[in-house]
Amino acid sequence: MKNKNLTYYALLFLIIVLSSCKNEGEYHSVSDRIKAEEKPYHGTLTSEELLAGRDLIKITEGEHTFLIPERKSQIKSFACIECHSKPLSQMKGTDKAKAHWDITINHANIETMDCATCHNGEDMNNLKSLTGRNIDFNLSYKLCAQCHTTQFEDWKGGAHGKKISGWTPPRASMTCVECHNPHDPGFKQRWPAQFNTKKAIERNEGLDH
Amino acid sequence: MSENKKWYSLDLGLNKKKGSSGSCGCGKTEGGCNSHKEELSAEEFYEAAINASIGEERHKDGFEQVFDVKMDRRTAFKKLTASLLIGAGAVSTSCSLTTSGDAKEKAQIDWEEQFKGNYKLMTDDEKKKTVDRLMRSYELRTGKNISMTAENAAEDVLFGYAFNISKCQGYMDCVSACVEENNQDRNSEMQYIRIHEMKDGEGFKFDKADDNYYHEVPQEGHFYMGTQCFHCDDPPCVDVCPVQATWKEEDGLVVIDYDWCIGCRYCMAACPYDGRRFNWSKPEVPENEVNKNQHYLGNRMRKKGVMEKCTFCVQRTRKGKNPACVEACPTGARIFGNLLDPNSSIRWVLENKKVFRLKEDLGTEPKFWYFMD
Ligand code: SF4
Ligand code: SF4
Repeated sequence: MKNKNLTYYALLFLIIVLSSCKNEGEYHSVSDRIKAEEKPYHGTLTSEELLAGRDLIKITEGEHTFLIPERKSQIKSFACIECHSKPLSQMKGTDKAKAHWDITINHANIETMDCATCHNGEDMNNLKSLTGRNIDFNLSYKLCAQCHTTQFEDWKGGAHGKKISGWTPPRASMTCVECHNPHDPGFKQRWPAQFNTKKAIERNEGLDH
Repeated sequence: MSENKKWYSLDLGLNKKKGSSGSCGCGKTEGGCNSHKEELSAEEFYEAAINASIGEERHKDGFEQVFDVKMDRRTAFKKLTASLLIGAGAVSTSCSLTTSGDAKEKAQIDWEEQFKGNYKLMTDDEKKKTVDRLMRSYELRTGKNISMTAENAAEDVLFGYAFNISKCQGYMDCVSACVEENNQDRNSEMQYIRIHEMKDGEGFKFDKADDNYYHEVPQEGHFYMGTQCFHCDDPPCVDVCPVQATWKEEDGLVVIDYDWCIGCRYCMAACPYDGRRFNWSKPEVPENEVNKNQHYLGNRMRKKGVMEKCTFCVQRTRKGKNPACVEACPTGARIFGNLLDPNSSIRWVLENKKVFRLKEDLGTEPKFWYFMD
């Protein structure tokens, strides 16, 4: 009987020791702390202020719901039908100045895609999926996601692309076209923003000695 | 003034607000005031100064005075300054024509700043007071205003960072943004972030990498990776600091109290990641380029002979924003967030991408992960 009681006491003691250790924030690794203390953040800090005055749209893709910027109002030549009053086939050959002279396509190759892969010649105010369905200009990411599936997965999770918000909720992500020109999506070679002359001198002197 | 302050105050009469109209401590208007009724008489002052300077040692013999001294850094300073005051004190306590209210206030601020406690041990009230003093001092010296805060770590937050090696193109926009955001010394071209250019197929060879390239990027056959302070969860730099001027905050940021650092550079030697930078000269930032949104533990102006490093932009992140480098990166290679929030992007990266950390076997537990597409 006594022995049993003793074991209970010992166990109780062990539990207390273990739990008090936790309370002091002493974890063996950072993943232990994450596991022990994780909880969805609903604190006082938010990105509301950062997002104030921005025109945002809420989207849900899979298990992720977040905000993206409204785009149509940002496109200079929107709405397209202001010029494209008739379907493209009927406008061809008419004597209009080359309106889109500044666009050259540098995206995949011509066997894979041309203007009509994404633009709907019958309805210029909308984009067009591979199966011919309309896609709203505000949701242009859906168009990119047709081919760039891994990037799309990463973007949804927050691993690809940039945020408009800070680290705090609500999450607002930039869409593909914020960083990639859809007609020429690759990043270009350029000079770095910085060169450290002091470091260069130090290194050179280091070599001379 | 609260009684339980952790520093020694020199009362120049500025705090006797009641009944005094001007900024002169004696209660008269600026300039000519010669009566010292409220202050110590010359004799009393002399007595007090001696007391502060050698105190109880007066009542001991020579042997005891040498071997029986309880002296730490604080009291040593206190005594030294007090003894200096025996000579200079008369000048600073009397209201001469030449001492303006501003100069007195400056002296008062400098004094209190000199003897304030370690930030880590300060109460919120004390933190606010030192921040207020530093703002006022900047205004007195430059005539310009800054905004400095002392926000504490928010609850349920642990900051973490992820860096996508396949995305980084070596543009170094992050480096520029960091220098500007954090008021880093322009003379010595201090930079917290390094971008290393490495050859494809050779793995991470930091000794062969170039972190100061001068050609168009990205270069064919190379990849780029950034390093900075990783805010280790078990930071060796903190353990070695002899005066506890650097420590880990509740939200995981490893910070430095620039006013407590003695510049021994132990921490720099202890850091396995080249995370720390030392001010060999007085840091200079052109007045019009100073970022005036500051945090005590972050981008406030440093002085010569103290350590500094990346703070994950504490002045931004404790307000809910992302660090400046994350915002500036044009490729989206940098991801920042709250590790405790299962809905955060950083957690998604850790759970869905193949991540690794540098020198993981050291057990420093950096909160900075690398991953690839
Ligand atoms: S990276 Fe270096 S300076 Fe930063 S916390 Fe770790 S050991 Fe300290
Ligand atoms: S340089 Fe400063 S922060 Fe680093 S160990 Fe020495 S006193 Fe501590």
